[in-house]
Amino acid sequence: MKVFRSHILVCGGTACRASGGADVKQALAAELAKQNLADEIRIVETGCNGFCAMGPVMVVYPEGIMYVEVKKEDIPELVEEHFLKGRPLERLFYKEATTETPIPEIKEIPFFAHQELRVLRNKGLIDPELIDEYIARDGYAGAAKALTEMTPEQIVQEVLDSGLRGRGGAGFPTGLKWRFAAQSKGDIKYVLCNADEGDPGAFMDRSVLEADPHAVLEGMVIAAKAIGSNKGFIYCRAEYPLAIRRLTIAIEQAKDYGLLGDNILDTGFNFDIEIYRGAGAFVCGEETALMTSIEGKRGMPRPRPPFPAVAGLWQKPSILNNVETFANVGQVIDKGSAWFSSVGTEKSKGTKVFALTGDVNNVGLVEVPMGTPLGTIVFDIGGGIPKGKKFKAAQLGGPSGGMIPVQHLNAPVDFETVAELGAIMGSGGLIIMNEDMCPVDMARFFMDFCQDESCGKCVPCREGTKRMLEILTDICEGRGREGDIELLEEMAVIIKDTALCGLGQTAPNPVLSTIRYFRDEYEAHIRDKHCPAGVCTALFKSPCQNACPVGMDVPSYLALVRAGRFDDAYKILLRTNPFPAICGRVCDHQCQFKCRRATADEALAIKFVKRFITDNGLRPPVQAVPVTRKEKIAVVGAGPSGLTAAGDLAARGYKVTVYEELPEPGGMMRYGIPPYRLPRDVMAREIDDIQARGVDIVCNTRIGRDISFNELDESFDYIYLAPGAHRSQSLGIEGENSEGVYGGVEFLRDFNLDEDAWISRQKSLGSRVAVIGGGNSAIDAARVAVRLGADVTILYRRTRDDMPAAEEEIIAAEHEGVKIEYFVAPLSIKAENGKVAGITCRRMKPGDFDRSGRRRPVPVEGSDFTLDVDTVISAIGQQPDPEFVPGDIGISINKWSCFDLAQGRKAETTNEKFYAGGDAVTGPWTVIGAIQAGHQAAAEMDEAIRAKNGEPPWQPPEEEKIDIPFEIDEETEEQPQAAMPELESAKRIVNFAEVELGYSIETAIKEASRCLRCDAEV
Amino acid sequence: MNSNYDELLEEFTEEQIRQLDDAIALYKGRPGALIPVLEKAQELLGFLPAPVQKHVGDGLNIPLSQVYGVVTFYSLFTMQPRGKHTIRVCLGTACYVRGGKKISDSIKQMFNIEEGETTGDRRFTFETVRCLGACGLGPVMVVDDDVHGRVKPDKIKSILDQYR
Amino acid sequence: MAKIKIEDLKKIKERVQAENALRHGDRRVRVTVHMGTCGIAAGAREVMTTLMKEIEEAQVSDVVVTTSGCMGLCSREPEITVEIVGEEPIVYEYVNENKMRQIFRRHILEGEIQTPFVLARGKEQS
Repeated sequence: MKVFRSHILVCGGTACRASGGADVKQALAAELAKQNLADEIRIVETGCNGFCAMGPVMVVYPEGIMYVEVKKEDIPELVEEHFLKGRPLERLFYKEATTETPIPEIKEIPFFAHQELRVLRNKGLIDPELIDEYIARDGYAGAAKALTEMTPEQIVQEVLDSGLRGRGGAGFPTGLKWRFAAQSKGDIKYVLCNADEGDPGAFMDRSVLEADPHAVLEGMVIAAKAIGSNKGFIYCRAEYPLAIRRLTIAIEQAKDYGLLGDNILDTGFNFDIEIYRGAGAFVCGEETALMTSIEGKRGMPRPRPPFPAVAGLWQKPSILNNVETFANVGQVIDKGSAWFSSVGTEKSKGTKVFALTGDVNNVGLVEVPMGTPLGTIVFDIGGGIPKGKKFKAAQLGGPSGGMIPVQHLNAPVDFETVAELGAIMGSGGLIIMNEDMCPVDMARFFMDFCQDESCGKCVPCREGTKRMLEILTDICEGRGREGDIELLEEMAVIIKDTALCGLGQTAPNPVLSTIRYFRDEYEAHIRDKHCPAGVCTALFKSPCQNACPVGMDVPSYLALVRAGRFDDAYKILLRTNPFPAICGRVCDHQCQFKCRRATADEALAIKFVKRFITDNGLRPPVQAVPVTRKEKIAVVGAGPSGLTAAGDLAARGYKVTVYEELPEPGGMMRYGIPPYRLPRDVMAREIDDIQARGVDIVCNTRIGRDISFNELDESFDYIYLAPGAHRSQSLGIEGENSEGVYGGVEFLRDFNLDEDAWISRQKSLGSRVAVIGGGNSAIDAARVAVRLGADVTILYRRTRDDMPAAEEEIIAAEHEGVKIEYFVAPLSIKAENGKVAGITCRRMKPGDFDRSGRRRPVPVEGSDFTLDVDTVISAIGQQPDPEFVPGDIGISINKWSCFDLAQGRKAETTNEKFYAGGDAVTGPWTVIGAIQAGHQAAAEMDEAIRAKNGEPPWQPPEEEKIDIPFEIDEETEEQPQAAMPELESAKRIVNFAEVELGYSIETAIKEASRCLRCDAEV
Repeated sequence: MNSNYDELLEEFTEEQIRQLDDAIALYKGRPGALIPVLEKAQELLGFLPAPVQKHVGDGLNIPLSQVYGVVTFYSLFTMQPRGKHTIRVCLGTACYVRGGKKISDSIKQMFNIEEGETTGDRRFTFETVRCLGACGLGPVMVVDDDVHGRVKPDKIKSILDQYR
Repeated sequence: MAKIKIEDLKKIKERVQAENALRHGDRRVRVTVHMGTCGIAAGAREVMTTLMKEIEEAQVSDVVVTTSGCMGLCSREPEITVEIVGEEPIVYEYVNENKMRQIFRRHILEGEIQTPFVLARGKEQS
């Protein structure tokens, strides 16, 4: 016996080899030889370890230390450090995706820790090319038992009792399939293994064949004994050369040992296996088509009955199971059906192997008990979604399957639940998709696949998939028509009912599934010619512009900045947005999340460049527009939405009066956002321009108090309600009414109204402040409190990633000394003499998933603690205050106190004279969202007025022609986003000066030059 | 050994044809022989033009119509000559969502060819494939047997320059 | 390779399991050979080879051998640390091939600490 002090298990799976694994192994062997360690340390090449995204990977025993992303250049250092000096090389440890904590031992890495390895029990642990290593792990013990101790009936019964169901997709009970074949009469029967894994995104079978080929052979031997067969075929894709090679070696070794061939284990039983290389046809994954293919013909399905158990390959009784099913069988027999069925759910026993791919941190091969919640697979094992993007859906079952969207993250993954949700278990391809996935495009992709792979034998599949593909393509390219969705649904049902084989019967599934969960996105494509995910390129010029609620022409103004034409750039900004200087400071910049530059290095700083333009370009002077129309229009609320609508209506020739309750116009921009983010003069200039168009703004006037609603109704022909959402939601806890408890927006409003009193400390928060909440108002309140001299702690009940506030705001708050406590929820406010003295909180921990895909916080019992504070600011959300609207006026208000809109309208309320928009309709939202609503309302009102009068639609005045230069760099050099110069935090917290200082001309031009010009058509 | 020997010699060498005949002889008479023989033929000859199909059909006693039917059914078989190197861009779901389409479009533009075509200088044949199972590396481009993972459009040229 | 019978399956299993035992974490003894530059110069490599040979001959599968860097007491190299599970680690100094054999047979196999060679008891963080 040769003893080694260490074994290095190098992954030899396809993915690791592709990322340089073979070179690494060679370099390792050479280095060990060079250091005279070859006799002490053994290198073992294993099959797929499963951690494919981290490849090449290796595990060193006895320590069990895993090294990831090993390059051949790393080898000398690794050998020197680990094997000579005995110091594990931390640099190559796996690092936890969010915290970057290095984790040395394989068993501690969450990706492995949550798995239950049964089918994959040998993956990465044995050399698949050495049969002895398989035998050492109880290999062939099941076959030996089946051949010597069991009758065929007992084998079938054991498999039946285990509850094992086919892992290839349909989930038919394996034992039942075997029983039918066993009962068929015939001297020749076949055992067939389906290794024609064709679903895109699926690689479970390949990994099993590469890592543990004998497990499949053993399962087939047992099946052969059970049904009385002497000949088996493995139908394996020619695209899997490594799997075929390992299988070939395994078959040879098994034959040498007498575990295959004649007189197996001296029992008198004969069984031989041949590998059949599939020549590339997806339909051959269907059982009858696969058999036809082995017969040497075009792989087309045959009608059933007769079923293969009666007349299969060459018309002889046959069974076909997939790789994973067979890989389970040896252990079912060896360890018994009760062991097998000890995990799983009622009707889905055992484990399931998934190929976890797509937008997930830990791409790879995973095995979990049936019934494991989807969220556990995606977040605990998969490590969540990369780059801070949001989970949108998981696609299960490939072209025959469907989506499981975010609201079902708690769903147990088993045959029944998955089917109820409109997907299928399939063979185990589990593709994670983030917010950038367009469901219509995805449905088109899968339909294209099915249409391409349809064998053409039956009409529903051949013609039906083609027609469905045409419709889907039309929708994706902007030619969708009303009724297309219903037509797709109708065709789907007919194809499902009438196609000859599984391919056609399941081909419509992805379409039905995406319509079920994402009908609104289909409608957006068809009605608005808009792709919300920014995928269907025929529908937009550039992804940034597509993502902007008002469709700002980002590539054009970036190009103009690059060319130094800042004045022209300013004109482009104002075409779609009356408040570019404001948005250049406070926008949530959806555009940047879709910027394609991020695939190369980082997204472009669109917001900062926008601000630069307004700082440096000449603000185009505004002319008053003469009033040409007789209809008088009132706007309630001088926030971004009301002012935008007023400006647009004035531009169309209407006389508009805006009523504002507070002393100055601006709404939340004036009384919510603090001046260090948005200086008041910057905002005032943009509002002046609205007034310059002829809009009257009447401040200090609340409807229902200063003028009655009736008076408003009688004085104006049309009214736009945009009062915003200025009332904090209550915490609903004891002590909330004590002195020193503020709502977040109420506090910010009071500060912004009465800044001098606060700054001169006539009004004070005291020295210790707790802010509750994780949105932008919570951060704003906290940063203001810091500037007022308080020691501030934010209490948030979830994780940082779950915070709705903008990432840059959270970082800024931290820099300014705000402490943030995560997983903390308030229980009660302690008051002394009616004044706040402290807040009692409870620690939380992550529970299951809510509909937004975030983990619900659940209390940790006995973790209560009290913070001594002088002030509590509760910023857990805002609501509109629609009380000024009389109940009998016919304007419907929903349970969130928001205005309802009329069916199919985007701004009109249920009373046709009244329109509404902004936060008062959506609940608290963004400035740019409010601007969009304002544009929408103005357009819809004007349209309605003209339609009523029988006038032609409004023709906007011709725009000045601004030619957009096209200049791009030939080679893209990696260059991250330019940083925004900021006031030092020490200087910030003593005053309310603007924190962000703005780009210099050089920086702005450099940043704008990073634009890849996705809008260009070459 | 049969009628279209001369026709085959126009494109292939005697040695190649001899090896093809060996393969035919090896499988002749076995059930399901056609596909393994065609696989072998493609490996030897690179592509399966009509004369090869006729030769195989004659050798195995299978009508040309059936041979043609099988050749056109399976994606592994091609009737067109191949480039010296094969570029395959994966358009499996995982690669597709990570930008595989952009890689494919860039290559089409770069060589002015469509999917399945070969460049004029017969240097490259360009194909797209359905999932190579290397989803962890998406988007993936395979040149011959080398898998290039996490490919970005601006890296394509430097990758292909390695294949002359 | 000859055809095997049922009982051979068991034999193969036992043999290979012993060879691969270190992949499964069942270990009774961990021996650390300190192999800094000084240790190697003083003969740690020979000590290691001897130890490996002893393990092989004794056919034990519960002894794990690792290496580590210099302990900082270069003048007393070669040094090894023997840790039997549940007992305090023992550091031996000036180990050579003969002493290694003796430590292996007496201490590691029999549990009898070879006091004359002991440098220290308890583990020093290296």
